[in-house]
Amino acid sequence: MPDDSKVTLKVGFAEQLRDIEVQLPAGEPKPWDARAELKVVGKPHPRVEAPLKVSGAAKYTHDIVPQGALWAAVLRCPHACALVESIDVAPAKSQPGVAAALALVKPGERMIFAGQDVAAVAAKTAEQAEAALQAIAVQYKPEAFVIDTAAAMQDGAPLVHRGKVEERSTEGDEPGAGGSAGQRGNVRTSPSMKKGDAHKGLRMAKVSHEATYTTQVHTHSALETHSIVVQWDGPKQATLWCSTQGIFSVRDEFAEIFELKPTDVHVHTEFLGGGFGAKFGASAPGSRMGFIAGELARQAGAPVRLLLDRKEEHLCTGNRPDSRQQVKLGAGANGQLTAIHVVAHGTAGIGTGAGVGRNAFGVYSRCPNILVESHDVFTHAGPATAMRAPGHPQGAFALELALDELAKKLKRDPLDLRLAHDEHPVRRHQFELGRKQFGWDEGKKRAAALRDKQARVRRGFGVAGSIWGDFGRGKAVVATVSVMRDGSVEVKNGLQDIGGGITTVVAQVVAEVLQRPIEAVRVRLGDSELGPSVGSGGSVTTASVTPAVRAAAEAVKTQLTALAAKQLGRKPEEITWSEGQARAGSKSIAWAELCKKIEGEAIVATGTRPETYGAYPVKFMGGNSYQIAGVQFAEVSVDTWTGVVTVERVLAIHDCGKVMNPLTARSQVQGGVILGTSYALTEQRIMDRVRGVMLNPNLETYKIAGARDVPRAIDVVFTPVDTGANNTGAIGIGEPATIPTAAAIACAVHDALGVAVRDLPLTPDRVLAALGVVPARGAS
Amino acid sequence: MSDRARITRRGLFRGIGTAGLLAGCKPSERPPTTTEDGEQPPPAGSAGALGPGPSPLEFTLNGQRQVAEVAPHVTLLAALREQLRVTGPKVVCDRGACGACTVLVDGVARNSCMMLAHDVDGAAVTTVEGLSQGGKLSVLQEAFIRHDALQCGFCTSGMLMSCQALLGRTQLEREDVEAAIAGNLCRCGTYPNVVAAVLDAAKGSA
Ligand code: FES
Ligand code: FES
Repeated sequence: MPDDSKVTLKVGFAEQLRDIEVQLPAGEPKPWDARAELKVVGKPHPRVEAPLKVSGAAKYTHDIVPQGALWAAVLRCPHACALVESIDVAPAKSQPGVAAALALVKPGERMIFAGQDVAAVAAKTAEQAEAALQAIAVQYKPEAFVIDTAAAMQDGAPLVHRGKVEERSTEGDEPGAGGSAGQRGNVRTSPSMKKGDAHKGLRMAKVSHEATYTTQVHTHSALETHSIVVQWDGPKQATLWCSTQGIFSVRDEFAEIFELKPTDVHVHTEFLGGGFGAKFGASAPGSRMGFIAGELARQAGAPVRLLLDRKEEHLCTGNRPDSRQQVKLGAGANGQLTAIHVVAHGTAGIGTGAGVGRNAFGVYSRCPNILVESHDVFTHAGPATAMRAPGHPQGAFALELALDELAKKLKRDPLDLRLAHDEHPVRRHQFELGRKQFGWDEGKKRAAALRDKQARVRRGFGVAGSIWGDFGRGKAVVATVSVMRDGSVEVKNGLQDIGGGITTVVAQVVAEVLQRPIEAVRVRLGDSELGPSVGSGGSVTTASVTPAVRAAAEAVKTQLTALAAKQLGRKPEEITWSEGQARAGSKSIAWAELCKKIEGEAIVATGTRPETYGAYPVKFMGGNSYQIAGVQFAEVSVDTWTGVVTVERVLAIHDCGKVMNPLTARSQVQGGVILGTSYALTEQRIMDRVRGVMLNPNLETYKIAGARDVPRAIDVVFTPVDTGANNTGAIGIGEPATIPTAAAIACAVHDALGVAVRDLPLTPDRVLAALGVVPARGAS
Repeated sequence: MSDRARITRRGLFRGIGTAGLLAGCKPSERPPTTTEDGEQPPPAGSAGALGPGPSPLEFTLNGQRQVAEVAPHVTLLAALREQLRVTGPKVVCDRGACGACTVLVDGVARNSCMMLAHDVDGAAVTTVEGLSQGGKLSVLQEAFIRHDALQCGFCTSGMLMSCQALLGRTQLEREDVEAAIAGNLCRCGTYPNVVAAVLDAAKGSA
């Protein structure tokens, strides 16, 4: 491989392609750019692991039962705020089947949310463990608490935290987010995002709009609950199975808790039943699961399975914070924005991270004056954590709906208003494409006609944009590719398969480089001993892993080329590959023959990924990576008699760099749209203000969308972009795909009704209240 | 099916009423709930009465005769997963709200978390593990793969079982499939692909 080299790459999108020069680090294969002719990558391919998933053979953490394993159960605080006066776990120890019991709090400690860890037991069966919890005696002295975000902001509200607040961050968080700019009472101010002078911009405005928008607390509700199985292999060595988005985050946290060497902690995650941002580390955001399972297993001298139930999953494993966003927009006489000012308050419960993302600050960047101020409001509820594009769906909802309300005052088409302020060439292209493909102009006319007629069932059209960054990580992944003497190919990495399709994409990359059929590539993931990898958060997986895999495969190919040259009596430079055969002039050697000549058992090479080296055509704010673009269009029908909103169609146009596998990428976008629809229409955590507990910690009254609640049609269109970021050209899609959905739906409802419903979820009572046919509900 | 009186979890709760249920569950007085210790043999001579300890149970599981000793309060889902180690059916809500635990009982899709194991005495139970024949995936399983009707895969076992029962029908419409999976939640958002897969499989199998 040559040393540091300059290469010319063809980058860009659609008709806007150009050549750029990129400096590549030593050993880095030339990136696949717009000129690359790929045979396997970029083609639809069914998931390679699918046969295991459709036959019940795929093993999830819930399914792992080491020999002699015990069940753990956790006693959780029933009060929103209470002082522990006394605790005695001894009676639990003599209950049938119990092998260990553990107090997790001490007398004098203050509990600050209902669902917090109090004590734990391990017993032979789940029922014995549950029964033994009842024998634990705890005396609480309940204290005043505050659940409601607005109430918690008042002077004199019960204080949630009395000491310094620690910020918990994970690989699920958006890079660059977080931090504090001071705290007063329960309100902690985040650093604001600022450009120009928004106050002045508002004063200069000829037309302005001001309103408050609210969003609800949204729980991740992955189908597989947080779960961890711990088996001690010696006093200082452990094997873990964990339902996690970050195998190494589990390993490192567990090692830290028990003072072990990380390499002595072996973590398996063969499959996981969803994560959506909540599954990092050995513990859950609101439960010390790693410590509990590890300590119980140590005390009992047997492996322990700690599998949360659905209620615990809602209470203490994270959620998307709520928000109250006061949005002020100003425009000049020409209809151009003079200011965007957002003041956001949201509660992440006892945790931090209730910001509202970069939408207001980053998408409509032709507005000269922007100020976004965010505040975390502490309440006595389970901590939030990163959830699929943390902050963004709530930020997009408030900003985009406010823009539509302003557009109405300006008598301007909402799409035109957006185009006039968005500088990202890819997103502009997507807006224009969607306008035609979705039938925007005609649709808006139809919606207006139904509105004018006061029809019972109205139609509405909405559009919203998304912003995300290519956060693909350099120097984090080491992938290993081996070619055996029998011709078989294996690729290994300690990555987890969260369901996005990465296993298949890894196989495709190796198949592409080595010109082997995908079926011939064995992919081994899900084990910390298979080499360092990244967590599946921030939409970094494909962008971080595939370049390392490709580098390893190319290194193997270089060695195979040398071997072929030797066999054919030529120089390596003379060897070309086609259809899996090495050729030189008229001579050739087939794959199987060549592999038999491998000295030793195999050719093995590792590969890594350097830092991102390209970000064409637009950089994400404050960074050196590409800004990912996306837009979604929604058409709704609204029954003005019942208030029921039905999403008829969504068109999702997204950019994810070079699309590696259109089949699985499409599923991921569709999944983002469905999650966003569910967020827009039905999901919400409901707290009892009197008792301070969650009233719907289940899946029948916490309503997540079922098959009949999703849009009647979801069209997914990709805008392939070559950004020159890394050697495969891959960037992420998981998070951008869910950012604009709820916003687009809310805008469509506004279009249908002529009035905005400013609170999520868009439930029938709110629709009817917006129409003035029923009184508005209390707080909102 | 055997002629033994069926006790269902819902039926049992209804029978004793909520007050009785709560009174009967004071921790100190709880009946032994052990499923593995097995010290309590079923009381002799009480024909039709089961428990409180494990009682014999016989049914057909994925075409094979299955004999097990299961306590009467244990759900079919728990018996399958924890005792028989058949882990295709998943526990997600454990109360009939999600469909991840769906199995076929005598050809009918049922939430196995809402049945007692003893409900299937004498019945034929099919789990996702029983869909393929001799290692060959079924038409429906293949269609799921082709249409990418799975992401993380955690809902997939249940989805497949809810859909399997539909396949014999000739005129299958999108609405039929949606109705069949209305009780199956998928957090990854695979519904449209599941519908496409089933319609395709129905064509193939018709
Ligand atoms: S686990 Fe049985 S329906 Fe949810
Ligand atoms: S595929 Fe993940 S829950 Fe359905």
